[in-house]
Amino acid sequence: MVAVVRSSSEDVTVTHHASQRRAYLTLVLISLFCMMPFFWVVLAAFDPKASQFLQIPQGVTLDHFKNIFANESGMRWVLNSVVIVGSATILTLIFAGFGGYALSRTQAWWKRPLLYGIILVRIVPPPALIVPVYKVMLFLNDWINGLINQFTADVEQQQMLSRMFSFIDGYLGLILIHCAMQLPLAIWIMKTFFDAIPKDYEEAAALDGASQWQTVRHVLIPLALPGFAAAGLFAFINAWGDFLMPLMFTSSPELQTLPLGMFRAFLRVDAIDYGFLTALAVIYTLPAVIAFAFARKFLTQTFSGGVKG
Amino acid sequence: MIKLTYESRRQLGYRFMMAPALLLMAAFIVFPAFYAFSLSLTDVALLGFAAQESSFVGLRNFSRLFGDPLFWNSLKVTLIFVIGSAVIGQFVLGFLSALALQRPVRYKPIFNAIICLPNAVPEMVVGFLWISMFASGEYGTLNRFVAWFGVDPQQWLYTFPLLSIIIVNTWRGIAFAMILLTSGLAAIPKDIYEAARVDGATDTQVFWRITVPMMMPTIFLYMFISTVTTFAIFGLVYTLSRGGPANSTEILGIYIYNQSFTAFQLGYGAAVAVVSLVVSMILGIIYVKALKVEV
Repeated sequence: MVAVVRSSSEDVTVTHHASQRRAYLTLVLISLFCMMPFFWVVLAAFDPKASQFLQIPQGVTLDHFKNIFANESGMRWVLNSVVIVGSATILTLIFAGFGGYALSRTQAWWKRPLLYGIILVRIVPPPALIVPVYKVMLFLNDWINGLINQFTADVEQQQMLSRMFSFIDGYLGLILIHCAMQLPLAIWIMKTFFDAIPKDYEEAAALDGASQWQTVRHVLIPLALPGFAAAGLFAFINAWGDFLMPLMFTSSPELQTLPLGMFRAFLRVDAIDYGFLTALAVIYTLPAVIAFAFARKFLTQTFSGGVKG
Repeated sequence: MIKLTYESRRQLGYRFMMAPALLLMAAFIVFPAFYAFSLSLTDVALLGFAAQESSFVGLRNFSRLFGDPLFWNSLKVTLIFVIGSAVIGQFVLGFLSALALQRPVRYKPIFNAIICLPNAVPEMVVGFLWISMFASGEYGTLNRFVAWFGVDPQQWLYTFPLLSIIIVNTWRGIAFAMILLTSGLAAIPKDIYEAARVDGATDTQVFWRITVPMMMPTIFLYMFISTVTTFAIFGLVYTLSRGGPANSTEILGIYIYNQSFTAFQLGYGAAVAVVSLVVSMILGIIYVKALKVEV
């Protein structure tokens, strides 16, 4: 009897070890697959003789990174990306904050249809919108440029304003379209977070004589801060990585953001500066990776809306 | 002046708060989605005469569409791409990682971080990284790797274009499957496993009789989300292959773009977009109904 028990417990440890080894093997293989493409970009960014191929660097240099700041276009792409994606994220947070709050608190008839509507809007594949959105942007573009021409007759001023406010080849258009694309997910996240804040808190604050604004400022915003963090991170990551919108709505070099600038530089097959591009790729990727590291813990919470961060 | 009660003032306030977000989504997503239907019935073009004066052509774009081998090719490529990368590639590798991470392994956060890394990379950089991986000639990373197994250097993006983009998208999406499936695994009560062990069930039996059935809702959710998002992919494939060579990687998004902005046929592009919209809306409505999403 004793012998039987011992042998079966040995069996258990043997299978335990075997499946443990299998687990490690699986994880190591999948991790290698995931890491492989990164070796090249990280090594080449510091390699004085960077090429398209993975190679052991002959030395270590920071010249490629310095080049980005010296090279006008590289720096401009970075700044354009920061300005456009940054503004779009802030705008998304403001609108999603209000929208999510309203959707969480209201009991009006439009609550349910709107929530389902937002799920469906989230499912619309952006490439399917390129033709009609282009038309809409074209229309808005004509309208705003008409306004600008009425506003000032000075050609230089017109050009400057047009760069800022145009819908095609202008900052405003890109900011608004990025914002619109990120709103459904952001509203959904904010609504979920506001749902978790009891209404009593607001009512208690109101009873204590707090004004509407004070309630928002000192009660709601602090409590919803994790929601804003989650919504902001996802909006930032998605807009930062988006390729389609810049591709459709920018043409002038002054307005190019990182994805498009890099893509076009990469197309000039005869003169690709791999050191410059890999260094830029590292700079372009880092903010997204950092944001993703923070956003990761929110990822499972956003699934209920049928949406992927 | 009409005096509003506290409650009706609040209700009015909610509408005002909702307005800016609704306006933006309506202008840039909802209206364009419907506008695509009406554009698809015209011969509007990006350049030339039809750009100014487009006319109603009825269902001509659609009859052309259904007779167009390139459209069917694009639909087929999209289907293979979605099944190959989202339904099989990401799911299998993500499930394997999730199962392995359930076990008491060391360095869990490190494995986790490495597997998540590809998901955080912008689409353009993904294309950039993999063009180097797929580089032809004996110095290409993948070619050097397969040389260990005695395989000759390949021109990956030319010889196996569709397989290549499936590998890239699988690589990118393992993390998402892993995270979602991990949360599903964590929700399975541990005592079910213990009861099965006491009854003498083997690992394989436990996996097929307990894990898989208990995971079905999560798997369904994963399949839905990943199908919809993979269906909407554009930048990743565009930066890698732009749909080529010879339309072999021309997924629907790329086909729409190429028809509209390379061939300048906006009306025809809109007709393709309508097909893609209808497919995703059907998926979406099935999802909302099946899961009875809590709102």
